[in-house]
Amino acid sequence: MARVYISSVINGRSDRVWARVRDFNGLPSWHPGIAESRIENGEPADKIGCVRDFRLRNGDRIREKLLGLSDFDLFCTYSILESPMGVENYVATLRLTPITDGDRTFAEWTAEFDCAPEREAELVASIGNGVFQGGFDALKRQFGGESR
Amino acid sequence: MIRIVRSTVIDAPTDQVWAVLRDFNGHDRWHPAVARSAIERGLSADQLGCVRRFFLRDGSELRERLLTLSDLEQTFSYCLLDTPVPLFNYVAHVRLAPVTDGDRTFWDWRCSFSTRKGEEIEMTRMVGEDIYDAGFAAVRARLAGVSGPEGGA
Repeated sequence: MARVYISSVINGRSDRVWARVRDFNGLPSWHPGIAESRIENGEPADKIGCVRDFRLRNGDRIREKLLGLSDFDLFCTYSILESPMGVENYVATLRLTPITDGDRTFAEWTAEFDCAPEREAELVASIGNGVFQGGFDALKRQFGGESR
Repeated sequence: MIRIVRSTVIDAPTDQVWAVLRDFNGHDRWHPAVARSAIERGLSADQLGCVRRFFLRDGSELRERLLTLSDLEQTFSYCLLDTPVPLFNYVAHVRLAPVTDGDRTFWDWRCSFSTRKGEEIEMTRMVGEDIYDAGFAAVRARLAGVSGPEGGA
């Protein structure tokens, strides 16, 4: 099983960052890699079990299912149902934790999945450096430069 | 039940911060409030269930038991057994996590406890500021190579 772990510090309060990322249908509004998204069957985006069908800027389509969402612990867990990536048993979690020292947010994005062994390094890099770090970089820009 | 959560970012790799915090008997070498500490019954400081008996600089004596220690998750938990201040059912959790886009460390320190009516504000201040915030500052200074409040180890 391959594992990806990417974490970052966002220069905004965790409730504000959470308001940005909580919407399971909202990736196009903050993630630069996502072009469009919709929730299937007209369900609410915070209904556990709903499915988002979204398209990347490179044209790839991905369907993902919402497995867990917590406004208390600030995390969102989802699995991939369909993608051109060649991954199986893919489960990912985006989690925010307040940094009380300075009203900042610690953001962690993890994924576990199975894939062909010869593709693991490439997939870990593209998911971690591309999708996850790309999302965090966008949030860091949106919430202002980080002050150490 | 009172809950306290304090967290910060230390400008050092997680392994360096963990090397300081992992030693359950080592807080007298980095925390400015702790004067001396010893593990009871000659146990190793990473033996789950071991008890540290320690003295603060003001002379008060405390005992705490190690409840959880994970080198994989870089977490540990402990509870207070004896203390001269009104902290009851005090359980604390420490978690480190790498900030991968900068080789820094996220450090989360939280606890829950109850106290006597009327002492809530003072106990909350003491734990949050005198123990947690002061601990953050001491480790930050130590890993920055600057002499901490103890004048360096």
